[in-house]
Amino acid sequence: MELDTARHIRYFQRCYKSVLPHHYTANDSSRLALAYFILAAFDLLSSPSSYTSAPDSSATPPSLIPAADRPRLRAWVLSLQHRSGGFCGSPQHVLPREIRRGYDGELRVQTADDPENANIAATYFALMLLGILADESAEGAASTYRHVDRVATLKWLKRLQRPDGSFGELVQDDGTIGGGRDMRYCYMASTIRWILRGNHGDRILDFDVHKLVAYMRRSQTFDGGIAESEMGESHAGYGYCAVSALSILDLAEEDAEEPNKSLQAGIADIPALVHYLVCRQFAYTDEEEDEEEDEDGENEDGENEGEPPETLTTDTPIPEMATLSIDYVNIAGFSGRLNKIPDTCYTWWVAGALRILDAALPGATSVDRASGRAFLLEKTQHVIGGFGKHVDRPPDVYHSYLGLAALATMAGDEKEAGLGLFDVRLCIGKEAAARVARGRDFVLAGAPRTEEA
Amino acid sequence: MPPKGKGAAKAKIPDSKPSEPQTVLQRAQQVYEATNPLEAAREQHGLNGLSTVERTAYINSEFVSTGTTDQLGKKAQKELWKQVNEASIPPRKLPKPKPEAWGKDKYGRNIAEYGLEQFHDRSDKILQLATLKLDSKEFRDTRYRASRKLKNGLTGESYVLTDEDIEAEKERRKEMAALMDDLYGEKMGSYSVDPAWDDVVPIPQTEPEGALAAIAYPEDYAESTSYLRAVMAAKEYSPRCLKLTEHIISMNPAHYTVWLYRFAIIQHLDIPLLDELTWLNEVSLDFQKNYQIWHHRQLLTDHYYPTIAGTPDQVKRFASSERDFMMEMLIEDAKNYHVWTYRQYAVRKLGMWDEDELRSISGMINQDVRNNSAWSHRFFIVFSNPAYATEGSHATEHDPAIPAEIVDREVEYAKEKIKLAPQNQSPWNYLKGVLVKGGRKLGSVREYTEQYVDDLGQDTEQVRSSHALDQLVDIYVEAGEKEKADLCLRRLGEKWDRIRLGYWEWKRTTL
Repeated sequence: MELDTARHIRYFQRCYKSVLPHHYTANDSSRLALAYFILAAFDLLSSPSSYTSAPDSSATPPSLIPAADRPRLRAWVLSLQHRSGGFCGSPQHVLPREIRRGYDGELRVQTADDPENANIAATYFALMLLGILADESAEGAASTYRHVDRVATLKWLKRLQRPDGSFGELVQDDGTIGGGRDMRYCYMASTIRWILRGNHGDRILDFDVHKLVAYMRRSQTFDGGIAESEMGESHAGYGYCAVSALSILDLAEEDAEEPNKSLQAGIADIPALVHYLVCRQFAYTDEEEDEEEDEDGENEDGENEGEPPETLTTDTPIPEMATLSIDYVNIAGFSGRLNKIPDTCYTWWVAGALRILDAALPGATSVDRASGRAFLLEKTQHVIGGFGKHVDRPPDVYHSYLGLAALATMAGDEKEAGLGLFDVRLCIGKEAAARVARGRDFVLAGAPRTEEA
Repeated sequence: MPPKGKGAAKAKIPDSKPSEPQTVLQRAQQVYEATNPLEAAREQHGLNGLSTVERTAYINSEFVSTGTTDQLGKKAQKELWKQVNEASIPPRKLPKPKPEAWGKDKYGRNIAEYGLEQFHDRSDKILQLATLKLDSKEFRDTRYRASRKLKNGLTGESYVLTDEDIEAEKERRKEMAALMDDLYGEKMGSYSVDPAWDDVVPIPQTEPEGALAAIAYPEDYAESTSYLRAVMAAKEYSPRCLKLTEHIISMNPAHYTVWLYRFAIIQHLDIPLLDELTWLNEVSLDFQKNYQIWHHRQLLTDHYYPTIAGTPDQVKRFASSERDFMMEMLIEDAKNYHVWTYRQYAVRKLGMWDEDELRSISGMINQDVRNNSAWSHRFFIVFSNPAYATEGSHATEHDPAIPAEIVDREVEYAKEKIKLAPQNQSPWNYLKGVLVKGGRKLGSVREYTEQYVDDLGQDTEQVRSSHALDQLVDIYVEAGEKEKADLCLRRLGEKWDRIRLGYWEWKRTTL
């Protein structure tokens, strides 16, 4: 089965043009994330590398993000920037200018006294969106991050780090850091730092990288996977976040001698992690799904898989091998944790993490692309376009984008027809990632010299 | 001088009596025609199509209605009024009615098209609303004067606001809201109709042009969050704000600042822990997948723990009630990550390293031997117990401080559970984790693991668990038996775990 790009384009165009249904109300604080999934999907579906061009065709079709809309989309993203650094998740969290009344004695500027409205995830998504929306011209590169307050944002980011190295999602006026200990924030912090700080300068604006690496190192569990923090349950999504965060820290170092220094330092046992991740793929059978179908809730965002009831007692003798499938597997999904049912987005989290780990353990990190692809295209791809979380589920923007990301990642340089090349670390198309990098160069070129080194 | 008409024309003035008007516009049209008797004829035939008398009358009426008669000479004025009198021209003419002049109703229908009765109803309602607004203003004025302890200048009496007044105002606001909706389709939210919120000027969300991912919010979401922004900005910590946070959380539990605000209110008002937990438990059961709820719970526990820390009995009771609630949550979803994260936190904070916790986890594994969350939690409570474990020992490294009998106990536990479902990877991983922690050789479970594999590589080959084969690879590598390890890897890739063929082949190259 082929990826039905026309349907996916229609799905995302509906999400782009119309108001999202009220089920998304619980996403009201993270509209930047929703915007990112929609526009990143547009971009991946209509970048130059998305097309297999015939030898005589020179012109590629225009991007699905209308050129006329780009300035106001950029303006919207920038309207969510917080005066004391970072971005707010949505207009819900933006207070009118006249009621803000803080003062930063160190920076000697007026700041908001509501710094808790800025959020680390929002900041990550805003920077990605500005890269996606940049145009290819030199002026486009120069203006990508022109209006982002890098000094305030880096200072704010530094305040989000806890003494144990982990990051919160927000910081309050009194310095209290809010949010759980969550590997996702480590990934976002590393990415924001890479874009805004530069490679070697601005020590004064940098957070404690060693502590961050040490925190991630402690989060590996006895089964080789990575948990949200020390001694938690291993989880493929957190595995991706740790691996990608470490890899981005390495990217900022540009150390030709030791290109994977942080990756090696931040994961105590890389072969065990690879083993854990490759084990996340397993054969899909319809019966299994039927059994679990009823137990699953209707959530868009969490993992709500039920499990088949275990009825064995302690007296059960060793059963004969009956559960092992020895037939060739045609369809195989990925689970986020052991003994959970397959979920569209974990194809991405697992395949993405393994792709990055290939640098540290070459050859060990393959996934079975044919069966993994079949699971997405035959089981969770929806008839109206987009992907559902599970089999026969309605699509949502999150799973729809990560379904595409998974296909592009598994394909690698072979390419999935209709999708562009993919940058696994930044989770956006390669061309968009290049625009992020070029915008970053301009940020640094124009940055005031504040380093103490 | 008005020109004299030449030639005789037929009379054009309609003399039939107009029929009863049906709509507002028709009625206005009739009044218009009555005050402009010649207009219809002129429109139809032009000025020259009128008879001389009519034309004279028409032109005279222009002078009359525009009030410019005094510009004429005395004689001409006299002549004019004589003619006007004879033609009985209406002294005032109304402008031609425009259908849009009455505006549109909330459905977009022109009010000009309303039937007369319907129009009178509407007018009554508008009047009624105006009266209510006046009364409501008086209520507000009285409340203001009462709050300032002012006296009535005429009677010398103090202004007071009774409970009945407040109730009456609430009723009045409801009526006003109904009328606003009925007349203009304007929803007055539950906060703008509540006199208790009159002092708050809401801060509405501004939605700039180009906004993406707009959401069709429930009706009162926009209003309640605009009040939230106002009281949050004013840093008001009061009972009404506590209620407001409940309302918003019920619609959007992932609102990341409302929870911080709620916690601040709880601290300011010194809300008893039990009250907050009772409410929170219900919310947690309603929103299983929400993370903020559990973060809030952690803040609460941090906040209250110092007040009970000195009384071990109280700590134990609290720990036990927390465990009970977590078990209630885990019945709904035994693998809820947020609950397990909080459980770890609670174990550390409240010192739940006791038999009760281990028993509770064993019970969960008995219920579902595939519950990997429970297996993970077991590893944590066994190997992070500060009574013997080395602080900061990594999950994947040997901790010499773990007593041998605990390692033995856990090895046996894992072996027993593997037997129940040999293809369940959780206890296999656990077994290996225990051996590493305990500093034991993998070879110590060689015989046990080999039970799951018969005659490997032969026609009579039997494999009862691919994880056993996987583990045997490491056992044979440890023992230096590379050929045996290689055979296991080959058979995994060829037959027992073909989906990971690439991985097994890679591993063969590392032998």
